Amino acid sequence: MKITVHYTINSKACDLEVDAGETLLEALRNRLKLTSVHRSCEEGECGACTVLLNGEPVNSCLMLAAAADGADILTTEGLMRGDQRHPIMDAFVDLHGMQCGFCTPGLLMTGYSLVRKANGGDLDEATIRQSIEGNLCRCTGYMNIVKAIQEAKRRKDAGDWW
Amino acid sequence: MESREHRLISGRGQYADDLDFPGMAHLVFVGSPHAHARIVRLDVAEAEAVPGVIRVITGADVVEHTHPLPVQANFTSPGWTWRLAEVYAMPADKVRWHGEPVAAVVAEDERTARIAADKIQVEYDPLPVVAGAEDALKPNAPKLYDDWPDNKQVHLKFDFGDPDAAFKEADRVITVSNREGRVTGLPIEGRGCVGHYDRGKGTLTMWGAFQTPYLQRHNIAAAMGLPEARVSINAVDIGGAFGLKIHAWKENVVALASKLTGRYVKWFEPQRDFIVTGPHQRDVSWQGEVAVKNDGTLLGLRATVTHDLGVESTQKGIAALSIFPACSSPCNMYRWKGMHIEGIGAVTNKSFYCAYRGYGKDKGIKFIEAVINRVARELNMTPEAIRFKNFIQPDEFPFKAINNYVLDNGDYPGTLNRALEMVDVDKWRAEQEKGRAGGRHIGIGIVTSIEPAGVAVPNCQMGGLTQARVAICPDGTVEVDSDRTEIGQGSEISHVNIVSGILGCKKEDVYVRPVTSETIGQGPLSSRGAVWPASAVAKAAKQLRAKVDRFAASMFDATVDDIRIADGVIGCGKDTEKQLTFAEFANKAFFFPGPRRLPKEVLLEHEQLLSVTTTWYSPSTPESGSSYTTFCTSADIAVVEVDTETGVTKILKYAHVHDAGTVISKKVIDGQIHGGIVQGIGEALMEELKYDRNGQLLNTSFAEYLIPTAVEAPVIEIAHLVTPSPFSETGAKGMGEAPIIGSKAVILTAVEDALSPFGILVEDSPASPERVRAWVNGSKGDEQ
Amino acid sequence: MNQFIGSRALPDLVYHRPGTMDDLLGLVKGIEGEYRVVAGCTDFIPAIRGGKWRFADGINVVDIRGVKALSGIREEKGEIVMGAATRLSDILVSPVIREKAPVLADAVSQMASPQVRNTATVGGNLCMASPAADTAPPLLVLDAKVAWRTADGEETTPLNKFFLGPGATVLPPRSVLTEIRFPAPGPDEAARRTRMGQRTAFVCSIISVAVWLRGGPEKIEAARIAMGAVAPTPILITAAESVLIGKKPNEATLAEAAKTAASNIAPIDDLRATADYRKSLAETLTRRLLAACVGDLA
Repeated sequence: MKITVHYTINSKACDLEVDAGETLLEALRNRLKLTSVHRSCEEGECGACTVLLNGEPVNSCLMLAAAADGADILTTEGLMRGDQRHPIMDAFVDLHGMQCGFCTPGLLMTGYSLVRKANGGDLDEATIRQSIEGNLCRCTGYMNIVKAIQEAKRRKDAGDWW
Repeated sequence: MESREHRLISGRGQYADDLDFPGMAHLVFVGSPHAHARIVRLDVAEAEAVPGVIRVITGADVVEHTHPLPVQANFTSPGWTWRLAEVYAMPADKVRWHGEPVAAVVAEDERTARIAADKIQVEYDPLPVVAGAEDALKPNAPKLYDDWPDNKQVHLKFDFGDPDAAFKEADRVITVSNREGRVTGLPIEGRGCVGHYDRGKGTLTMWGAFQTPYLQRHNIAAAMGLPEARVSINAVDIGGAFGLKIHAWKENVVALASKLTGRYVKWFEPQRDFIVTGPHQRDVSWQGEVAVKNDGTLLGLRATVTHDLGVESTQKGIAALSIFPACSSPCNMYRWKGMHIEGIGAVTNKSFYCAYRGYGKDKGIKFIEAVINRVARELNMTPEAIRFKNFIQPDEFPFKAINNYVLDNGDYPGTLNRALEMVDVDKWRAEQEKGRAGGRHIGIGIVTSIEPAGVAVPNCQMGGLTQARVAICPDGTVEVDSDRTEIGQGSEISHVNIVSGILGCKKEDVYVRPVTSETIGQGPLSSRGAVWPASAVAKAAKQLRAKVDRFAASMFDATVDDIRIADGVIGCGKDTEKQLTFAEFANKAFFFPGPRRLPKEVLLEHEQLLSVTTTWYSPSTPESGSSYTTFCTSADIAVVEVDTETGVTKILKYAHVHDAGTVISKKVIDGQIHGGIVQGIGEALMEELKYDRNGQLLNTSFAEYLIPTAVEAPVIEIAHLVTPSPFSETGAKGMGEAPIIGSKAVILTAVEDALSPFGILVEDSPASPERVRAWVNGSKGDEQ
Repeated sequence: MNQFIGSRALPDLVYHRPGTMDDLLGLVKGIEGEYRVVAGCTDFIPAIRGGKWRFADGINVVDIRGVKALSGIREEKGEIVMGAATRLSDILVSPVIREKAPVLADAVSQMASPQVRNTATVGGNLCMASPAADTAPPLLVLDAKVAWRTADGEETTPLNKFFLGPGATVLPPRSVLTEIRFPAPGPDEAARRTRMGQRTAFVCSIISVAVWLRGGPEKIEAARIAMGAVAPTPILITAAESVLIGKKPNEATLAEAAKTAASNIAPIDDLRATADYRKSLAETLTRRLLAACVGDLA
């Protein structure tokens, strides 16, 4: 069964014909070539395919493309402004929050969502760690990822954010 | 120039799964549900009838069109056992482990291939299963390989120093044992590649997650029966490797599929496949005895370590090779009189064994560190005191150890002292004492280790191959080639730092090219990146720098001593008029005025191009035979709290001191430390592949094979010592495996310390909550 | 024996997303062939990928999340009512839940991952009827009822009677779970829960325990203990209630109650834990939770 869905993806409206048995991950990667959305377990256990759906992180492998009809979707590509990196990306680079880079886009999305919603002072370590528990990383031991997310919050508080 | 970081962080990495070629077909493997069975019938008709299926490749096709997997390591010595089985990339007649691929579907898209994969009919005749090393080695155990006399693949025997004298001198001999569970390295990205066989040219080109392209080309060419010169292997962005992407196995089936269909063929492995079809590691047990003096002097060790290797490795001999470091590494960083170590490897009906961060070094050190802490407790010494008593001292280097390693240098006592400055162990011991009164169980673990890094051994493909090229392009940018693939461990940053430091060019002008099979080398394994490839790159850069100096001197009409290069500007003495950017300099050197304006000696020596290709070989290995070149040092101190009612271990503090010699990039080293420590914690507390008696792997996904999340990972404090190695070109030491070695050991010894009131010896890992609880239940009633 | 394939394809689906309750009930009533009611799909997709569930092409998937009435949390006549399609993450941030039933928010906060909680629903968790369903123990001790509808009417049953076995519930064919409701706890009530997994975060529970007490520091008037992953379904363990009711909640009473609870379960050995370990945890965790509840009451 083919279904036409409408997404707002990285701020651009798009109509797309998908199979009913197709996941959002497959639609994003195969049809829209948004290859920052990485495929690993396909069962919602690793978080590599995390995207923001209406501002909230979800595993795109666990969602039917059809079920996301009407959604506002943000991927790592959409965090960029032209060739300019988003401040959270800068924080990841500056603090070495990335090694092999495979889990990184998923972590960026989860981290971005957390920082965007966070008010008040610094994000505490425990909150960050719990917020990224659904994003497995095997390279970094999470240390610099946590630091990068904390730094991103500071940059946001300093007005460096979009 | 755009950095790798920029490319990856902006979502523009190109990993294996992102590869896309015109008309590309997709390949999906079908695996055996049985651990040991004869294939009676394999029917592909229904699968091939699925619209979109191009063809099905079976084990019979593989046997018909390819050669057995090549031998990668072969050791025979009188009194040793070393057997290799003849295996193909897929079997035609018999399966030997749960998940072993028996067929592969090639289809227009992956979904179709998956659907068709389910329609392949295979009839199996199950055979008795060998479920573990102990069973495998029993007389009359069912055999995995008919032409072997039994299931013993390897039996190595080593006499280091004088073990008999060591035991004769001993005041006491303590019996020791240890076991660790089967684990897998599990980078978040699975394996994957695209193969393209060009029927016109007779060439095979592959792109993908290749950790060691040069060796993979050799092994794929051998299996495919193609001339190596016509095969090209290209690494793309790799989503972590840890040793798990050195294979030339399923890759052969991808190559064959392309050869048989004429299409670009892509295979990308889902995680479940990656877990079930290996590689796996660890799964060893130690039995032995240690000889000591009552003053804490370590004298000798007699031990046997038995490995459950699973089936013959797809990297033939490479699995068994890891038994060598397991046997040698117990010497660690202490003065010993003698050791007798035997390493046994049994084949079983489990997925195969291969490289994973640690590669046996971790096993030996985990074992001996547990033993030493146990000895300390028996002698009423602290773990630090027994170490200070036995360390090789800073003035003894280079130190020829009894296991033939030539230890380059280090400050072993200084490393532990630094860690003791970071963690006030006396305060924690007081806390422990106080806690015990109230039912709290705090444990303090101390472990010190060296990491033998940069393997070079004879009779195998890990003989010490490395080549590098550094060149200045006519536009002044610099390109670097080496065998050190970027697997997330910082190859690119390291090489940029080394080359820009030596040449004086700008960092952003250095481009570290993706690794291909054009550059000779073993690739980054055995923590050799900072030792071998980095040395070759540094050597090439130094030679290139000498050329630049010579050319510039000629251009400025000066002597080489006058040439100053910094931040991309080549200058001459204090003369600010005489300055060239790298772009201006390169343009002059190549084109205008061009080569004929170079000194005639340069032209006659055929040294007129700004490109240097060179090789590097360890200076310590040829004479001594030391398998490793550098030995970084680390000390780990962990404080844990064990809830003895639930068995849960919580890490309260973790400190790590590291001496990796010259620091090429601190953030890279720190990143390696963080990641390795958390992997080690995974092994210590939660990771274990569980096979049942029928050889079924029970935990086959991230939901069941648990690795640490950010919640379980502790805050890690790091300090560095810098003792440059005399043996590497930059003074750096390999260090990628050290953190996993130390952390696994230190957490387990800390748990043992926490449980000491119960008289529990932590001789098995992981120390999962259930296992800890069972130990507590099984201990002699209440706390002693 | 299924052959091993790393990850299986989803079948060709017929996807339905009704927008109103009537459309939903009408659709489910008249649907021909095999169908599945789904919400977040967080269990549906992995079950197919891993080969646990197999469907022929053309299976109907009825996505209930288009029906607004099935989502949301409200307080109504002393009861807290949750729509079956309420996402776990909505429970977590619901002011009503956080104030009146923090025990449920606490349970949800440890379920799966933030990503999964942003799509998975409470009704889905209950309808999957996993023995380890983590919303069940707190809802059981809160005395929850579940309601379902068919095109012909509505029925309600205590959650305690809802589960029949692993993956099986009393939901009749062609019905849709609509609501979960429970009385808002009063000031003299306290509820706590915890669970154990093989690691701390993002893991299937090897046991989950919830307890609820009414009374004060001098006397317990009512008590409930529920557990997950110790039986074919999440269960209420009534045997221990009599140990507590009418007693002063001192250490010995709580320990005895915990012991009684643990001795009245018959867990199994599985991949994640042995029966013995589960029993041992049942006692320890129950005792600790009871003590914490008593502290809350004081």
